[in-house]
Formats: sequence, structure tokens, C-alpha cells
Amino acid sequence: MDRRTTLTTLFGRNQKSSTENITQALSTSSMTEMTVNSGLEPYLGPFEFEQAAHLLRRSTFGPTYAQIKASKDQGLEATVNQLFEFKPSPEPPINYSSQNDPNVAIGETWINAPYSTTVNLLAYRNQSLRAWTIGNMINEGTSIQEKMVLFWHNHFVTAEVNDPKFRYKNIELFREFAWGDFKELTKRVTVDPTMLRYLNGRQNTAVSPNENYARELLELFTIGKGEAVGQGDYTNYTEDDVVQMARVLTGWQDVGFGTINPDLEVGSIFRPNRHDNEAKVLSHRFDNQVITDMGANEYAHLIDIIFEKDEVARFISRKLYRWFVYYVINDDIEANIIEPMAQILIQNDYNIQPALEALLSSEHFFDMLNVGPMIKNPIDFLMSTLKQTEVEFPNNVLLANRFWWQIFRVLPAMQMEYYNPPSVAGWKAYYQEPMFYRMWINSTTLPLRQQLSNLMLFDGVVQGDFQIIIEPLELVESLDDPFDPNNLIKEFGNLFFPNSVTDDQVDILKEILIPGLPDFEWTVEYGNYIADPTNEDKKVAVENKLKFLLQGMMSMPEFYLS
Amino acid sequence: MKRRNFIKATSAAMTLPILVNGMGVQAIAKSSLFSSLNDDSDRVLVLIQLNGGNDGLNMIVPLDQYDKLANARSNILIPESSLLDVNDLVGFHPAMTGLKSLHDDGNLTIVQSVGYANQNRSHFRSTDIWNTASEANEFLTTGWLGRFFNEDHPTFPENYPNDDYQDPFAITIGSLVSETCQGIGGNYSLAINDPFNLNPLASVGIDEVPDTPYGEELTFLRTSIEQTNAYSEVIGDAATLGNTMATYPDGNRLGEQLRNVATLISGGLKTKVYIVSLGGFDTHANQTVDGNPLNGAHADLLNILSDAITAFQNDLKLLGLEERVMGMTFSEFGRRIRSNASFGTDHGDAAPLLVFGNCINPGFIGENPEIPDSPGVQDGVAMQHDFRDVYGSVLVDWFEVEEEKVKDLLYADFQYISILDPCGGTITPNDWPNTPSPYNPNKYSIVIDHGNFPNPFRERTNIEFELEKEGFVGLSVFNGSGQKIVDLVHKTLYAGKHQVKFDASTLPPGNYYYHIQTAGAQRTKLMVKVR
Repeated sequence: MDRRTTLTTLFGRNQKSSTENITQALSTSSMTEMTVNSGLEPYLGPFEFEQAAHLLRRSTFGPTYAQIKASKDQGLEATVNQLFEFKPSPEPPINYSSQNDPNVAIGETWINAPYSTTVNLLAYRNQSLRAWTIGNMINEGTSIQEKMVLFWHNHFVTAEVNDPKFRYKNIELFREFAWGDFKELTKRVTVDPTMLRYLNGRQNTAVSPNENYARELLELFTIGKGEAVGQGDYTNYTEDDVVQMARVLTGWQDVGFGTINPDLEVGSIFRPNRHDNEAKVLSHRFDNQVITDMGANEYAHLIDIIFEKDEVARFISRKLYRWFVYYVINDDIEANIIEPMAQILIQNDYNIQPALEALLSSEHFFDMLNVGPMIKNPIDFLMSTLKQTEVEFPNNVLLANRFWWQIFRVLPAMQMEYYNPPSVAGWKAYYQEPMFYRMWINSTTLPLRQQLSNLMLFDGVVQGDFQIIIEPLELVESLDDPFDPNNLIKEFGNLFFPNSVTDDQVDILKEILIPGLPDFEWTVEYGNYIADPTNEDKKVAVENKLKFLLQGMMSMPEFYLS
Repeated sequence: MKRRNFIKATSAAMTLPILVNGMGVQAIAKSSLFSSLNDDSDRVLVLIQLNGGNDGLNMIVPLDQYDKLANARSNILIPESSLLDVNDLVGFHPAMTGLKSLHDDGNLTIVQSVGYANQNRSHFRSTDIWNTASEANEFLTTGWLGRFFNEDHPTFPENYPNDDYQDPFAITIGSLVSETCQGIGGNYSLAINDPFNLNPLASVGIDEVPDTPYGEELTFLRTSIEQTNAYSEVIGDAATLGNTMATYPDGNRLGEQLRNVATLISGGLKTKVYIVSLGGFDTHANQTVDGNPLNGAHADLLNILSDAITAFQNDLKLLGLEERVMGMTFSEFGRRIRSNASFGTDHGDAAPLLVFGNCINPGFIGENPEIPDSPGVQDGVAMQHDFRDVYGSVLVDWFEVEEEKVKDLLYADFQYISILDPCGGTITPNDWPNTPSPYNPNKYSIVIDHGNFPNPFRERTNIEFELEKEGFVGLSVFNGSGQKIVDLVHKTLYAGKHQVKFDASTLPPGNYYYHIQTAGAQRTKLMVKVR
């Protein structure tokens, strides 16, 4: 029997015809019909494990069983408060491995240390930055901070700039403003050293303006490109605005790139002789405002002018919506969610927190139709695999960094390399119609997802004497009732999947846990192990069964959904 | 970074029972009775996407415009003496020695100044326009090849693969599927990074899928897993059976993709379309090196492109596949005529498009772009050929799609361009520009363009042209940044001389272009409005 026949026999056929399924799954029109009418008003329904899990899956990376239970116990409001609680920046990245850095000892940070003319220090510092980034997500706790840092990285994209000191400063900016003032953040990004290099701001001068940043500032970072309604007129701005704004932004340059000078800090500087001092006249889309004679303050004034337009609030609300809820934005969503969010943003002078809190506490967010349809991005998938299974990392921070770096190296193949979005628009899953999140899934990336969970279950990753691996016996102890196989599978399902496992799924999964045996056999075997936990035979027997069960569950597409 | 460094370690340990989606693959009925396309054709189209917007003016250099280019882009222009000698009117970038030899062998066609009206200079929007073959202001969610495949396979991906169609319709080499192949029901292309390393996937299927967005996404995931499993077998077989015979340049990232394509074709895979890509063409800065315009990012890219295509074409020849395969490049836009002070160029408009293979009309289609004496800062290269006419002509000649059907799939004003040629005859490069572009005089009319008078002009000018035969004529005027100002003619005209008045009294002075489109030829001419 080939494997297809086997499994068709094993799992039975779809009761529903596949025609129906696929037509529904793949037609975009059916989706628009299916959307929800609930709005941004506060959610007043029950806040059980399922709702707490939904909130934490979307606002953090891979919440544990304990985290979800704690959230359920404290309730929605307290959980939201906890998510937005002030959190100091983590300790900066360190030299965890290089004996060759003359300026930085092992265990010390390199973020202010100069480079060297004799040793190439980029490679290890780049690794360190990336390892640290993984560590930050693993250790985030119940905070929305890291999800927002990645949100901003995907919004104000930079890539390529190969100086980890620059990149550190850039990503720390996003941590500082995680749910803060979007307008102020835009100002800071505009003259951020990494951005000045990535979008050629440093080459933007009065004599030869480079409009790369000005264009993306409008099209991707603030107001968005509207419909083309006239020659060079995109409703929200015109071609000439790009030209004029590029002129406003002339004169800024980054400082300290790759420097060996210990006194030169990474930063940016305004060079008046490179700045265009003539008047810049914006189009009627910006009320024909004129910017002149403000020198180093012109860029901030320009951002103020752009943010006078309410469309900015709608634009960023849509991006937040696609990051936290779902990709379909139809007229109902526009009216019931985007517009009210935009109004909250405007009332709060572009402070992100109130609008985002409203979204995450809303009737709409907890509407059944919004639970589960988000295909996890690779970082979320990776973190779910490691964190929901409570993989333990070493306490020794030098060793932990080695593991974090190895974890990071999975991401490029899975198509989501932190610090390297594919283009200035960010990862395609958040803007490319009609596929959106489905962009993550194809015949190349699917096998990687399954290989990754298999790796963490059966081989783990080894560094020296330490192995990180899923320990199912420890994981299972946190469950309410692991003695009953039905309950065991259901509780795992509640942890890993957005919706409860069905009875059919329980049956299939039980065939993996206790093939051909009655339920009580699991109770007996597991009980034997609990009664005699040091007996290696009893332990291995139960542990292997649990690993196969987890393999089955983590290979299910339900695990790819949030 | 090699993904296998980390992940490969697992495969040895994966001697576990494999679970597969319970949906099952059923053999289904024979193919559609209403097929309008030729399923027996074994022809293959290879698309090479040049991501970022390729600077055509430094690639295919118009020698008759050289002085004007020297005026507009002196800091990046390739010295005339360094250009590869192609003919009196055109020189190739010196990094493209391979493409030069392909041209000399009659295996290369250059379609001049391909673009579209009302050029959008956003990478993302313009890429969408090229992928979907939409109008500049039209939003389509299907790709041009997706609609082509959809004609005969409207229910895809339901019940695919099946006994009649075991092979994927299209393959994107890489990790993201190409939007050119997005159909109504799903994407017709499969993303493959490494055809030698495909493993079956596990998945536990269940019976019920709720009628919610969650259910939709879950079904999408299950279908993807099922398809990946089903297709991976045939692809793996083709990769094993396949062969390559040419030497591909070391470390050439495009060449590696094309080598995989050659392997899969020679291994018997019946995939009709392959999409490969080369990124990095967004050369705002350091397109050339300060003081040495022969070097820099763009030269490196053109070298990669040229060497990769040349090796691939050679491979096809050695494998005996050269009459089955054609290739074509595309890029979201060309770049500005004027360079910037960062030794780069900003987003522009039209650019040349390369077609290669054995079954082509080699040489040049269309005329050199005209460069104004004083191009505006915003000015790009004016469009001469609508990219949808290129796509459509490929569909007509290569996949034997009826012209009327092409009008449905692409756009109503589709005009055939004879880019391809049935294989078998003796082909030599046409001695362009002394003869007009290849066309079939029995079927198509050609326009003889008499220019516009006066030129330069102050308020009005007259555009005069002559038709050899009765036929459709589109005559439009564009400004320097590719925006359409007016359609002057859009109908069938009688044979003979025609004169059309263009009233520019309300327009600012500057560079304008008129574009004449007929079946058989498209022309673009510069005209200058002065104060």
C-alpha cells in the first residue's frame, strides 16, 4: 500500500466535498462576505483559556501554558495592562565568543566599541546582534514589546547596512517607541543613521537631490499612495511632493560607520552646506505649504505637516490591523475598525498605545471569526515551537547566545530573516494581494516547518555539554490532567491550536499515542512512570509516546495558525 | 547562508511513521473538453525577473544618442570606445560579452523601450502591473500567466495534480511563488529551491472545516501540503533523470537557477513556465564606481545576467532542447535619463527587454529611444512597446493562443509583434535598422512615420503618418515622465496618408513623445514644445 492509500484508510475521507472546501478557501470574494460586523467597542464576553491564548498568541511570541493560565486568571484588562507595562531595554548584545576583538572582552558589549584596522570584527558582532535578538524574543515575558519591535522593523524597513552598531541603534529606537508616539518615531527614523544609509539620505544634497527616502516616507511610512487621480497625483500626495520633500531632507548624513575612532559615536549630523536653502513648495495635497529657512529643523516640520493629514492615522491603523488581526480589510472593517482606531490615534496625538489597546480589547478582536485565521510568520512559528514547548536554554549567557545564533540561522531559509526584509516594503505577507499571509507557505518552506519541529523533538541542538530539546515529560506536568489521554490531547490542542481539537482529531492522535489500545492503558503507563520517575524504562516508554504525539500535533497545519 | 547547515541534521532521524493529509488524491475525469490551448505543445517559457528596475540606457546603449546621454549622465556613462560593437546604432555594455555572442549567433532579440502608459514608479505597484498585466490604474489580483493557465484549468488547484496533469504548470525557482502565475483559485506555480531535496510532508487531516476565515486558511494549508507531496515526486524524478551539459559560471546566482531549470526540462518535466530572478537592479547609488564607469553594481549584474543566459542557451543546445525553450527578461521599470550625483539613477520608465532562444526573430525590434537635448530631472525613457503586446505575442507564437483570446487575457488593444519565429528556417540577425521590424505583410499593416511639423513647436504641431493597408491605429501623446496626455487616434484607419493635429497650447513647455501603435509596428518620437 502506498502511503496515500494508507492514510486515506486511516483518516477517512472528507465528508465535505473538496470542491466546496477549495472554492471557499481560495476565492477572495467569499472572504469579504464572511467578515465580521463587530466593532471596536470593548469585549465583554467570557475571558477563558481560549480567549487568553488568542490574545497572547497575537501579542507575544509563543505563550506558554502557564502564561495563558495566568492571563486567564487575571482577566482581560489586567493582561492588556501587563502587555503594555513599561519594560526597560534588555542588556545590550555582548561579545560571547570572539577572542580577537582588541576593544571588547568576552562578556562585554560592543555597541560603543570601535572597529579595528587589523581584525574584521563585523562577523562576530553581526552574529551577536542576531543572537541577542532571538534571546529578546525568547525572554520577552508577557509583553507586547518584541512584537512591536518587529512590527516597526517591518514598517520602517532597513536592510543591508552592514554595521551592527548602526543596526543596534536602529532597533533600539523601535524598542524605545514600541507603543509610543508614532509621529516622533517617524522624525527619529528620518535622521536615523541606518535609514540615512539604506534609503540614500546621506547622498541627498542640494546639488543633487536623491528622492529615495522622500518617496518611501510618503508611500510606505506615513500616508500611503492613494488612487492616481491625475497626472502624478496620488490623492494623498503628488510626484512633485516627492521632489520637494527630498529637497527638505537634504543635508543629513550618518556618522561613525565602521569607524575605528574610539571617540566617534554612531549618530547623524546636519551639514548646512549640503542643504537646499531655497523655498520648497508642497502641492495642494499639503495645502501648498512652503518650507524654507528652517535648516536642521525642516525635516521635523515636514513630518508635522504630513501628520496633519488624517490619512496617516488610517494608514498606520491598517498596518497594525494586518499585523495583529487579519489581512482582509473590506468596507465594514474600514468603517468599524480602521476609522475608529484612526480617530483614537488622532485624539492621542499619534500615541500608538490607546488605539492598539482598544483593538486588542475589542469585540472584533475576540470575535470567533478572527480567532485562528492568521498563518504564523516564520519567526512566530519558530518561537511557538521553542517556547510553547518550554525548551530550556542555559543560564550561562555566553552559551545561551551560541544557541540563539543557531536558532537565528534557520530564519533565512524560512524566508523571514530579521534585519533583512526582502524590500523596503517589508515582508510580502503583510501587503501582497491576494495571498498575504499565505506567502509564507509553499513547497519550499513547508518542509522546513516540519523539519524544525522534528529537530527540536528528536535531536535537539547541541553546544558543548548542553542540549536544547523539547522535554515532553516536563511539559506534560504543567497540564491539568495528563492521566486521561483524551484530556491530554485536548489540553495540548488548546495550547498549540487556535481552536479546540475535534473528536475525530482526538481519535487520530490517540492512535499515535496508544495505537490500538484502550484509553486506560495510557493512564496505567503514565501512572507507572509518575510512581517511579527514576526508572529509565518506564520513563523512555512514556516519553517516546509523547514525542510522537507532539510530532503529530506540531505537523498539523492547525499549528501553523494563530 | 545554507539552510542545511542547521536543518539537514534532522533528516537522518526522520525514520518515523509519516502521516499524510486525509484528503486523498483522487484520479479525476479527463481534461476539459473546451480546451482552446495546445496541451500537446512541449514548449517552455523561461522568465527572468530583474528586480529593482534595470537601467536600459547603460545596457543597450543607443550610439546615435550618445552625445545627449553624455550631457545627461556623464558620471556613469560607459565610454563609447569601451562598448561592445554590435552595429552602427547600438553598443552593448562591456560586461555582456556572452549576450553579444548570442546576438551574433542569432539567438537574441532586443525589444526596444518596453513599458506602459502612465508609468508608476513605485517598485511594488509597478511589479504588480508587470505581473498582472494590468493598466497602470487597474488593480488585478490574477497574473497574466495565471489567467492563461486558468483558461483550461479553471478549477485548479482542486484535484491537481491528477493522471492527466502530473506536473506543475509553472515553477518559480526560489522560496516565493511568482505573482505572474496567480490564478483565480490559486497560484499555478510551485516554489522550488532545490529540486534534489524534496521530502514528503506529514499532516493530520480531519473531516470538518468550519465555514470561517480560519477554515479557509486551514484548507489552504492542507491543500498546499497535499500538493507539495504530490508534485515533489515528479519533480524529484525529473531532477534525478535530468542532465546538464554546459559549464555554468561559478558562483553565478542566476546561472545556478537556470541550471536547475535545464535539468528539470531535460529530465522530462512537462512544466510550461519557469520563473527565475536576479535582484539588485535598484541602483540609486554606486551603479558605477566613481571615476570608473566600467565597474560597479550594474556592471556586475549585467555580467551575471549575460554569463548565465549564455551558459543556459549553450546547455539547451548541447541537450538538444533549443527549439523547445525560449527565455525573456522583465523588470518593473527602467531608470531616469539623468543620473544623480551618487553615481546612480532613480526610478524611470521604459527599458529594453531581452528575448533569447533559437526560435526567435533575432536582432532588434523597434528603434533606439530618443534622448532630448535637455531632459527634465523626472524624465525617463519613453515607451515604444507596451509590455502586454510582448506578453501577448509570446502567447500567440509560443503557446498558440488565438489573438482574440489574448485580447481577453491581456487587453483589448493588443497588437501583435513578431518577436518569435517558427523554428526550422535559416535565421540570421536582421540588418536593423535598414529593414523595418519583422512583420508579416500579408496579415498586418505597417505605418510609415513622417514625423511631426513643426518641431520644435510652440502651441500646435501636426503628426503625419502613412498606412500601407487599412488597420487599427492608436496614436497617443506622453510627457517626459511617461504620463499619457491624450489619445489622438484610437480606431481603424484607411490605407494612405493621415495627418493629426496635436494642440499643446495648455501644456507646459518641455519634452513630449507621440506613440503610434499599429499591428506590426510601434513607434515613439520625441517632439519639443518651446516657449
